[in-house]
This record gives sequence, C-alpha cells and structure tokens, in this order.
Amino acid sequence: MATTRGYEPGLLPGDAFDTWDTKRKPPDDHETERRSGRNRVDEWMDADFKFGGSRIKRKAVALILLGAPAIAPLFFMLPALLTLNENTFSVSVDDTLGTGAEICLFLCLLVTPLVTLTGQRWFVPLRRWYGIMMACCSIGDAIAAGLTDTFAGGFFGVVAGHVFELMGFMMVLLVIPLLITGNPWAQRKLGRYWKRLHRLIYVIWGLLACHLMLLEGFGFQQGGTDNGSGHAGDGDPIFHQRFYQYSAASLFLLTLRLPPVKRWIAAREREGRSWLVVLTITPIFALFVFAMIFIINEEIFKGIDSFTEHPSSE
Amino acid sequence: MVSETYARGSQEKASDGLIVKAISLLAAVLVIAGLGYAATTGARHKAALATADCEPNLSPSGLQCTTVPMLISQYAGVTTPVTRQLATDVTAYAANERHSLVAARAALTAAATSESQLGIGLTRFPFPPAVAAIAAELVRDTDALARLTAEQAGSASLARMRSFNGRVQSASAVVQAELRLMAKALDVRPTVSEEP
Repeated sequence: MATTRGYEPGLLPGDAFDTWDTKRKPPDDHETERRSGRNRVDEWMDADFKFGGSRIKRKAVALILLGAPAIAPLFFMLPALLTLNENTFSVSVDDTLGTGAEICLFLCLLVTPLVTLTGQRWFVPLRRWYGIMMACCSIGDAIAAGLTDTFAGGFFGVVAGHVFELMGFMMVLLVIPLLITGNPWAQRKLGRYWKRLHRLIYVIWGLLACHLMLLEGFGFQQGGTDNGSGHAGDGDPIFHQRFYQYSAASLFLLTLRLPPVKRWIAAREREGRSWLVVLTITPIFALFVFAMIFIINEEIFKGIDSFTEHPSSE
Repeated sequence: MVSETYARGSQEKASDGLIVKAISLLAAVLVIAGLGYAATTGARHKAALATADCEPNLSPSGLQCTTVPMLISQYAGVTTPVTRQLATDVTAYAANERHSLVAARAALTAAATSESQLGIGLTRFPFPPAVAAIAAELVRDTDALARLTAEQAGSASLARMRSFNGRVQSASAVVQAELRLMAKALDVRPTVSEEP
C-alpha cells in the first residue's frame, strides 16, 4: 500500500510489511478504491473555517490539539533544567522523559494501524511529530541519566555500564539518524534508502522491550511483589510493571502490521462486513487502551512531581 | 486478474482469520483477567498497607499511603541539592575572605540565595502534623540565616565581612542541627498518641 501512497515525511516508515505485501499481491478492487477514493472524514478535515478574519483548516487545529501533549514530558522537566536541580534529574528523569519517549513511540507506531482500520489519512503528519518528540525525550533522558545517575564510571559508564542502560543507549544512538533525516529534504536526498533507514524504528521498538525487561525483570523480581514502578503499598505490582504495559500496548500495534491480519481486514471490508473487523479488533484495542492508561497515568504523576521539583523515587 | 486475486484472497481467508481471531481471543482473555485483577485492587492495597512500611497518617498530599522512605526521599530532594551548593559556597568564601572582597561577596550572595531557596522549599514541603513544630522552627531559622548571610554579603570591607563569621556560623549550626533533627523525626514512626 505504502508504495502508491503520497508518503508523508516522518520518522517512521509507513509499514515495514507494506512493501512486502504489494510485491507479492496485485492490488484488488477494494484497495484501489481505498487508494483513489478520499475518505469523507479526510475531506471534512481538509475544509477551512473562519477564525479571527483568517481561514484555518480543521485538520491543522486537530493536529495541533493531538500533537501538543507530546511536549508534556519535556515541559515537566523544564523547572528542574532552569534551576539545574540535579536531584530531580537524578531521581525522576528516567520516569518522566523515559516514559514520555515510550508514549511518543507508541503514538508514532499507532498511526499506521489507525490508517489500516479507518482508511483516514488526515492524522498521518502526527507520526513525524511524535517521532521527533520521542527522539528528543530519549536523547534528553540519556544525557540527564549519564550526568546525574549514581552508577560508577563517568558518563559512558552510566549509560553503557549496565545491560539495561546499554539497551537504552543503543536506542538513543539509533534514534539520532532518524531524527536527523526526519525531514522532507533528507527524504528526497536518501530516496529509496530513506524508508529502509527509518525501519530502524522497529529495532528501537524491540530494544525497548529488552530495556524494560532488564530494568524490572518480569514483575516478580527477587520473589517479591514490590517491583514495578509502584511502591509496595499500592498493591498493583502487575499493572505498574513496565514490561507488561509495553507488551499489552504492543500487541495491537504489532497485530495490525501483520500481512495476514491486513489481508483479513481488507477482505471483510470488501464484503461489507466492517462490523466483524470492529468486533474482532475491539479486544486487542481495549488491551492497548488498558496499558496506555497506566503508562500515561504514570507519566502525569511522575511528571507533576518533577515539575514541582519534588521528584518521586517510586 | 481480479478473479484470480479474489480466489487467492478466499484461499487465504481461513488462516488469516484464524490468526486475527486467536489474537483477539487472547486479548479478550487478558482484558477480562485485567479487569478481574483490578476489581481486587482495594483488598490487595489494604494487605500491602498492613505489611509494608506505610504510614497512612503521613499522607499530606492526599495519597492513601505515604511510606516513610517516600517522605524522606522527597525531603532529601528539597534539602540535598541546597546543602551541597552551600558547602561549595562556604568553601569559596573561606578561600577568599582575606584576599578578595568581590569573590567573597559573590560566594556569600550565592550562599544567601541557596539559603533562601531552602527556606522556600521547606515552606512548601508537606510536613506531616507530627513534625510541624520542628518544621516551623526550621523554616524560621533558615530564613534568619539567609537574611544574615545577605547582610554579610553587603559588607563594605573584608574585615567587616569577617566580623559576621561568628554569628553566621552559629546560625548555620542551628539550621544544620534542625535539619538533622527533622531527618530523624521523619524517619521515626509517630507514636500512637501523635496519630490523628
């Protein structure tokens, strides 16, 4: 599909499996219709409305509203940066910027499945924006952790001295070329290599799994129930376990990228049985939402603690 | 070609559908299990409160449970950076108090700023009722120390500046003693009579 789309410049390739799929399968009538026909929501979003004497596209407002929260993790750390509060950076930068980067990565990866499900494309520019914010958060996290964490060995000792830190550092190293080339100019210059390069996002996605797995074990570290991001008192060692949150959120993002699943969705829509698609995908999407609620909840609480410079060590 | 594609699409349908339905079923089971687990959170929370180092009466921020380590961590977050900075400022002042008025003044101005920040941080800190009295004294003495240091920084000569040393050291010793006392008070569980 992606080979015939007007490709939106972004940090993330449209879909690593799209090219594989189109090479092997000629487009069917339904897909041709979906490509050529514009979605009604897309048309509505493209319309202008009057605001203070000028005309603004509805799409622009919607994109700003949906994109603005991605700045929140950096905003939360701003007071600590301005006051050079080493303690806040040391205690909570990984929770605030690290979790922020994770959320931005998931939102970035969410765009393609939503295009597959809804056929709408007006929100595709958000992929680039979330990707950029993910890169900024992860780079900020690595720098702050390297400078303020208490592990021995200086900056590189901190960011590469433990295996989970090394995984995080590798993610940051991989995200740098994506950030640098995440613009239309680089896309033109790199040509067909651009998409190949930007498939590194999937490597980053995998490394994040290793990073989180090594960070907190599998939720029952040392036989106790007090690991995860919550304190012992909250009684929720499962929901607060970052690797579980990651897995639950990733199931939806991965499933909607599988060629058989995409073929199945296309076939049901061709038959006019979209309700079956909705019915089948709903539990997977519900699991995604379930996980994201806990991740975003943590980001908000830890972020506010960081913003007030009373960092939580939970 | 369309018919060929359609035929192949039909052939693929069974396995494709199986995959998506299996994943959907797994997700449904996980969501139901998650909701079931969430329904028993209250009971687990109570059990955790009973076994963990939680003090429901140390809950100034409205949390159901504030553990002593959490409170100490927050307290350290306010005091540690400032006391580190103060140590640097005092060392800088000691190195310049007999040689350079400008450098000594700069060190004392920085120290006064740090002390003011400490006072502000302590004023905003959600101290539990059990330590409110010590907290009030600590805030008052920290502010007094900040004012005295600022006055010392405003001295016109090094000799005049050094004449403040004794008073500043005494005031600083009082604040340090109160900081230690506060750390100890936060670390100790309140007695039954102190509980609300």
